[in-house]
Amino acid sequence: MTEGYRTTFKRRQMSLSSSQRNPYWRRLDWVLIGASLSASLLGCVLVWSAGRSDLAEDPLYFLKRHVIYLVVGLALALLVSRIDHRLMRAYTPVVYGASLLGLLLVFSPLGYTIGGARGWFKLPMGITLQPAEFAKVAIILMLAMMLSEKRDAESAPRDRDVLFALLVAAVPLGLVLLQNDTGTVLIMGTIIVAMVAVSGARTRWVAGMLAAAVTLGVLAVPLGLLKDYQIQRLTAFVDPTAEASAGSYAVNQAAIAIGGGGVSGQGLFSGTQTQGGFVPVNESDFIFSVAGEELGFIGAVLILVLMAVILWRGIRIALKAQDLFGRLVATGVVAWLAFQMFENIGMNLGIMPVTGVPLPFVSFGGTSMIATWLGIGLLLNVRIHSDN
Amino acid sequence: MLVVTLIAVTIFVGRLVDLQVVRGGTLAAEGLDQRLRTVELLAPRGSITDINGVPLAVSMDSVNVTVDQTLVTDPAVTAAALAPELGISVTELQASLTGDRRFAYVAKDITPDSWRRIDALSLPGIYPEKTTTRSYPVGGVVGNVVGFVGSEGKGIEGLEYSLDDVLAGVNGTSTFERGAAGPAIPNGAGSTTDAVAGANVRLTIDGDIQYVAQRVIADAVAASGAESGTVVVLNPRTGQILALATVPTVDSNEPGDSLAEDRGNRAISSAYEPGSTAKIMTMAALLNEGVVTPTDRFEIPPTLTIQGKEFHDNEEHGTLNLSLTEILAQSSNIGTILAAQKLPSQETLYNYQRKFGIGESTNSGLPGESAGLLPAPKDWSGTTFPTLAFGQGLALTPLQSAVTFATIANGGVRVQPSIVADYTQADGTVVLPTAPQRTEVVSSQTAATLTQMLKEVVSERGTAPLAAIPGYQVAGKTGTAQFVDPTCGCYNGVMSAFDGFAPADNPALVIGVSIVRPKYSIYGIAPSVFRQVMAYALQVLQIPPTSTPSTSTTAGR
Repeated sequence: MTEGYRTTFKRRQMSLSSSQRNPYWRRLDWVLIGASLSASLLGCVLVWSAGRSDLAEDPLYFLKRHVIYLVVGLALALLVSRIDHRLMRAYTPVVYGASLLGLLLVFSPLGYTIGGARGWFKLPMGITLQPAEFAKVAIILMLAMMLSEKRDAESAPRDRDVLFALLVAAVPLGLVLLQNDTGTVLIMGTIIVAMVAVSGARTRWVAGMLAAAVTLGVLAVPLGLLKDYQIQRLTAFVDPTAEASAGSYAVNQAAIAIGGGGVSGQGLFSGTQTQGGFVPVNESDFIFSVAGEELGFIGAVLILVLMAVILWRGIRIALKAQDLFGRLVATGVVAWLAFQMFENIGMNLGIMPVTGVPLPFVSFGGTSMIATWLGIGLLLNVRIHSDN
Repeated sequence: MLVVTLIAVTIFVGRLVDLQVVRGGTLAAEGLDQRLRTVELLAPRGSITDINGVPLAVSMDSVNVTVDQTLVTDPAVTAAALAPELGISVTELQASLTGDRRFAYVAKDITPDSWRRIDALSLPGIYPEKTTTRSYPVGGVVGNVVGFVGSEGKGIEGLEYSLDDVLAGVNGTSTFERGAAGPAIPNGAGSTTDAVAGANVRLTIDGDIQYVAQRVIADAVAASGAESGTVVVLNPRTGQILALATVPTVDSNEPGDSLAEDRGNRAISSAYEPGSTAKIMTMAALLNEGVVTPTDRFEIPPTLTIQGKEFHDNEEHGTLNLSLTEILAQSSNIGTILAAQKLPSQETLYNYQRKFGIGESTNSGLPGESAGLLPAPKDWSGTTFPTLAFGQGLALTPLQSAVTFATIANGGVRVQPSIVADYTQADGTVVLPTAPQRTEVVSSQTAATLTQMLKEVVSERGTAPLAAIPGYQVAGKTGTAQFVDPTCGCYNGVMSAFDGFAPADNPALVIGVSIVRPKYSIYGIAPSVFRQVMAYALQVLQIPPTSTPSTSTTAGR
């Protein structure tokens, strides 16, 4: 795969000039924007439906916020898409530093805990921020910068560069781990592995990281690295019928909701499990169950198709990237979104363990929505700065 | 990476097909099963009123306070908040709020107002359970008639028990889809069968007369040191029971405060040997058979021996010469026996007593009625006939005794007594109880003649001048029966009774008084109670006084 990227890259290097001729809007990936926006609008409807019954005093609470986050995200994405690479590289350490600060802030009295993870802090007006979401963007930019720095002189990053990049990435990863946010740790790990793999670094790095991940996974339980609730979630995955744990309850309820949807769904606002509030956090982590119940197989597949289209466009952008920095950024974003989509939908369908990761674009969650659209903004940026 | 994406999508689609197409029906059914809840809709219990609509038993909405102990965040705080409203100590409350039970009662039967105040506190884990409380506005006055309900709201004594089917109504059910947190899901499936409220029952009881009867008999029982006493007030024309007073009594609101034996209704459930009041049946038989007239005279020896048993009169006397009227007025046992021997056969007396309703329930509609006791001729010994003639060897409930007098008052026709005036169903329809059974026992001529004889009892020449009421003609008969103590075979106390009616020329009311084992004023107590209750009832019902006062009433006190 790396070989493929390389040849494409070299071919693209030959003709640089056409980007000046095409206006900005012509160079945007409208398929990507269309799919992302469709998924987000579908998310609005689903969040509306799921959130309606949660807060009787304000049935539109979740919807209103969701739309605001979407607009902010969209605006930021368009803004980010225009930033010049040199400028972006220059500000990357700033972004990285800010995200580290954010991650540290949640350990201050400002921070608080949701679902066992101390990953949030509150701002005035009831706005909550989850710095780990922004940290994903920071890691992507930082790794892309570090792994592509020496690109002009050598064909691949040196081991020293890779090690240094990994150490830099490990800092936010470690902080997120301290927050007990397993889901984000896994996402960050995936991003790192994918980016190192694409960077042209020696294969042993990738193999080593994968081996380390497997070893850590195997040893996590006996070494007591996992908290009780984490083990509970994992065992709930292994035996979803076990009544006691919170995870298995959610998985069972999600299965009932999705199964009850049948082919054509029970109709928007009419999903009985959804409106009855049986599926926990179904405006966020379990939003896919709402689609399954109210919009049925057709709605669920539509989401899968939109997600696949987004990933396809992302992969396409990575393949056509003009330079290694752009390709690494696109790869990081695709890896991030892909893993998050896979994990979230898999958990809704009961074939992945329950970790609190939202479904990109669709789930309710301000930081997640904005960060996801920042990711799309990065993809658009790479595309704009590529020649096609 | 595209390939990986496509593989993942394929896996997900496969899983979706499995969940939504293959297992869709099963999972949907599982969900429905978990959401469907059936709640019983309580049918409001009908009220019981007196004949004028005064409430005797009513149901009021109330609330049971329940707790899901697992949701109580701080039992101490919750207990402290609840304590003043519930009037339960904080420590006691704290104990009932602590634990891991999902459902337990904290307090029962609080008022809806009280619940609203508790609800305003928004205490986690504290929930209401709608229910009703039965309340008896005059519980102690008609407790033995109305009875009471148990903790489940089902009638367990009195009319509450016997009319439970009518009063209870039919509970409905509501089936609906319920969300995880409890409230019904909008657009969810569901069905409701409305509850049918129980019927309101209007009794024949007149609350005013009942109140006075209850008070007078209570005073009399207390003053005479008696064990118990009853007063029956009947309308002889309709058979309607206007009052049924019993002492000791039960307060329907606090049935636990009374002994178990005092919670029933002695006037219908206890049969006593009647003594002399039963003589009217013998007299009625003699007159109706035409074998004796009121003026026929009999020679009464001091004692009379039949089959080796010596019979006495109440007071020792030499040989007397008495008319039938005088025999009744002075309540001579020997005279009654001698007259009864004029009957065509001994069975004739038995047949008349049966026609008066002795030995069978009056079917008044009150629960736990005794049939009384009347031995069949095949079981008789040689002395059974003479003893039955003057009121021994048989047993009547106070109500049965009053009915025998009502039969005479009603021109010889016995009317089945009743306690329910009408039922008003939930839809407003008024249903009358089945018409009472009427049985002609003796001719109206016989009844009129006997009434004249009974007026003599209440004269100065009779045994009950105390029963006379100025301005009204009163007919009646005393009875003083001795209780046989089965443990020693000896006599132990008496039952003082007086049954009578007024106005004698056009009877409107029959009152029967029975007082068990009075220690003082054995002979005067029952006629005195009769007079007080009758005088009041006549006045309340606005019965006009007799236009030409009889000699007996002017002779009264």
